Amino acid sequence: MPDLPELDPVVHGKLRLAVLSLLVGVEEAEFTWLRQKTGSTDGNLGAQMMKLEEAGYVAMEKRFAGRKPQTLYRMTPAGRKALAKYVAALKSILGAAL
Amino acid sequence: MIDFEQDNGTTRDELVQRLALMEQMIAEGRKSTARFGWIFVMWGIIYFVAMGWVVLLPFKQWAWPVCVTVGILAGIVRVRRMRAAGIGENQRTRSIGAVWQAMCVAIILYVIALGVSGHGDQPAYYAAVLFFVGLAHATSAGILRWRAQGLVAFIWWGCGAALFFFKTQNEVIAIFLAAAFFGMILFGLYAMWLERKRAKALVQHHA
Repeated sequence: MPDLPELDPVVHGKLRLAVLSLLVGVEEAEFTWLRQKTGSTDGNLGAQMMKLEEAGYVAMEKRFAGRKPQTLYRMTPAGRKALAKYVAALKSILGAAL
Repeated sequence: MIDFEQDNGTTRDELVQRLALMEQMIAEGRKSTARFGWIFVMWGIIYFVAMGWVVLLPFKQWAWPVCVTVGILAGIVRVRRMRAAGIGENQRTRSIGAVWQAMCVAIILYVIALGVSGHGDQPAYYAAVLFFVGLAHATSAGILRWRAQGLVAFIWWGCGAALFFFKTQNEVIAIFLAAAFFGMILFGLYAMWLERKRAKALVQHHA
């Protein structure tokens, strides 16, 4: 097995990877949409989103749509770069393993 | 459903699963028109109802204004409910939404003008509606790079052009209903089937 450090541990988490992959195709997404698409729980998703925020990979914004509060996430340039790097590393590892 | 318990797997199979997960989620995030297959079915039915009203019921000048208004209101209610459930938005979904909204505004103004002025029985006027719808389908197909929807655009344009060569009321109705059936109802059902197929594949993939 190739060295693990090549894979960014923040991106490698399954739920975090799922969220980043969802966000890469949209400009911004609501928390509820991410929860619905990943089938995760509020608590788990909230914790993983916090890790992504701390890493600077996503940015969070709270706003109101009418009277309804919304929590919106968007991917940062650092997040895009990290995901691209992760994909390249993953393909390289898998290529080497074949 | 994604299994989030085994979070740091590094075996080859697990890494392959990561790639598959990414592909699945990226596709899921980019999905747009297929999620709105029901709109096409609804509008196809509305066209049938409006045409039925024109042929069979009194006050036929109000058939199109009333049916189109009901359709737009039903669409707004449904889309608001979907938004309340939470959606992801991007430039592509906004572009497609703008195309269809503009088409709706154009058609509603057009049919109101037709109804009020009493010109609703001219085949050429119906043809314009078909060209409007075809234009929206073609633009949407171009944004999504979806050949099936491109084909649907040609069905609408073809039927629109055909209206200029058939003059009797029965011929006009037959062409219009053919466009509504193949270009709206059948296409909408196909889009809904695609949506369900993708959702099913997503669940099976993560089971």
